[in-house]
Amino acid sequence: MAKVLIVGEIQGGALREASLELVAVARGLGGDVVSLVLGKGVQGIAEDLSKKGGGKVLVAEGDALEAYSADTHTAVIQQAVEAEQPDLILLSNTPNGWDVAGKLAAVLDVAAVTDVFRIEADGDGFLLTRRMFNGKFDAQLRASGRTLATVQPGAATAYEGSDAGSVEALTVSGLSSRSTFVEVRKAAAGGHDLTKADIVVSGGRGLQKPEKFDEVLEPLCAALGAQMGASRPVVDAGWKPHEYQVGSSGQVIAPKLYVAVGISGAIQHLVGMKGSNFIIAINKDPDAPIFEVADLGVVGDLFEVVPALVEALKQAKG
Amino acid sequence: MKILVCLKQVPHQDARLEVAPGGTWIQDSNIKFDINDYDKYALELALRIKDAGEAEVVVASIGPDRATQALRTALGMGADRAVQVWDDAFAATDSLAIAKTLAAVAKEESFDLVVMGLMSDDANNSLTAPMLAQFLDLPHVTSVVKAELQDGKVEVERELEGGSLEVRSVPLPALLAVQTGINDVRYASLKGIMAAKKKPLAKKSLSDLGLDAGAVAPKVSIAKLYVPPKGEGAELVEGSPAEQASKVVAKIKELGLL
Ligand SMILES: Cc1cc2nc3c(=O)[nH]c(=O)nc-3n(C[C@H](O)[C@H](O)[C@H](O)COP(=O)(O)OP(=O)(O)OC[C@H]3O[C@@H](n4cnc5c(N)ncnc54)[C@H](O)[C@@H]3O)c2cc1C
Ligand SMILES: Nc1ncnc2c1ncn2[C@@H]1O[C@H](COP(=O)(O)O)[C@@H](O)[C@H]1O
Repeated sequence: MAKVLIVGEIQGGALREASLELVAVARGLGGDVVSLVLGKGVQGIAEDLSKKGGGKVLVAEGDALEAYSADTHTAVIQQAVEAEQPDLILLSNTPNGWDVAGKLAAVLDVAAVTDVFRIEADGDGFLLTRRMFNGKFDAQLRASGRTLATVQPGAATAYEGSDAGSVEALTVSGLSSRSTFVEVRKAAAGGHDLTKADIVVSGGRGLQKPEKFDEVLEPLCAALGAQMGASRPVVDAGWKPHEYQVGSSGQVIAPKLYVAVGISGAIQHLVGMKGSNFIIAINKDPDAPIFEVADLGVVGDLFEVVPALVEALKQAKG
Repeated sequence: MKILVCLKQVPHQDARLEVAPGGTWIQDSNIKFDINDYDKYALELALRIKDAGEAEVVVASIGPDRATQALRTALGMGADRAVQVWDDAFAATDSLAIAKTLAAVAKEESFDLVVMGLMSDDANNSLTAPMLAQFLDLPHVTSVVKAELQDGKVEVERELEGGSLEVRSVPLPALLAVQTGINDVRYASLKGIMAAKKKPLAKKSLSDLGLDAGAVAPKVSIAKLYVPPKGEGAELVEGSPAEQASKVVAKIKELGLL
């Protein structure tokens, strides 16, 4: 049965919820579970994880591990892998997770699969399921031999059992990072706070041109008394400022009503709005993944549907 | 200063995609292709460094014949030379093999900076860049949203979650994987496209790079590609736009939001 090494991730001095989701995934495979916690002043976190299903928790402590660096993290995880010889190495698919995953896979010369939401053992390897083509398709991948996977945050429910494990120091020496951490800063916040709006109407790449936001989307916002949001490509193209962006690298919102117009529903967008109380999606592609999280779906050309909707709203309000 | 930009040709963002018979890849014989979106931003970053001083920009892609078009477009935008690598063994390969091959390309000369995309729009792996960095023994940064070249180093900002940015200083040579939106991507001008026809484009096989099919045998393969099963999903509203609109309004009323 597969032996799994979980690489815990620390954020703001605490273990991320996503790391406890890894525990659930690892335990679901039914084999031996060991974990690794690395950082500075993380002994307590390791002890905590050892009581929450992390099994034997290796803890690597040091000044060199205070800030994340691909160089130091790769070196430590590599040593943990050499010590424990796991069949499967699990990280979370977070900015640090995907920054280190490829480098680590190259160092270890192992199969690597990112952003998976399901893992099963399969012969000498694993079957891993994930999205591809920005959410348009699912793929089941076969990985042979030792496998490294990053798991999509939220794909599993955090492990809630309390199993007694143990904590063991992993002594690592000679750690150095070629690049230097300077600081973490918050992007300047604008005045467009979507988190307080009751209704948000977001436009995506389907609007095709910046002027369509004024011509087509703005009237809908006005008719609904909604704030306007946007998907990332709209912001990347400079059509709307960053404070309009909804998603993992924008704002995470949960309004009473969210209307997605010409947005496909890539996972990074969904994590920003799927907690909304009611979701309406307008998209011409009946297979668009946004319809999976929507409560009401309108399959059609937004340039016809939205003006019709504005008209109907005006009439309804008299 | 010599800069390598690795770019992938992927289905055009507006292409209608379907799973091919066999169910392990998409039907790709009759669709439009384009340079991977993230890689356009990567190329633009390199071209801006070139515009600001002295730099030679080399673009490299592993892809079949059709990928020549992507490289020509990149040359039309201002890249100086192109390298295209193909072997049928790549048809069902993995990121590790792609990175090994790109490493062989990069090692044929010596680059001060390697720029790539954070992710390919088809595979969505986000693996190739850090893998290549390891094979080239370079420091790397992914999710780069700002990069400023200074004396012998590059100051970068890396996108974290929820609007946080990490500032890092990276000594050259280095590898950067850029996030979309880092700059405004230029179009190839007509003049550029004409000039591109005369720019060198080298086509290489695996053996030209000292590799064989065994060296790039994949550890990861696609067993099944499929349209995600419909779960609960949305209640779909049918009819003409006007009929659809009135049903949506009725729902919004029911929610008490009108
Ligand atoms: C690390 C990372 C962070 C990211 N963060 C975010 C984020 O915070 N927010 C975010 O949104 N994305 C984010 N992304 C990008 C994400 O992966 C997608 O690329 C993006 O969400 C796609 O935006 P879109 O839906 O507007 O465009 P597309 O995926 O191109 O979808 C456009 C949609 O419009 C539809 N359409 C086109 N024309 C019409 C029409 N006439 N009528 C009706 N429908 C039409 C199409 O069918 C399609 O579904 C991130 C990606 C990464 C890798
Ligand atoms: N076949 C390829 N040829 C050249 N570069 C590639 C290729 N595949 C991936 N890349 C580069 O690696 C980046 C990340 O791709 P991926 O790891 O597939 O998500 C892309 O944005 C490209 O810069």
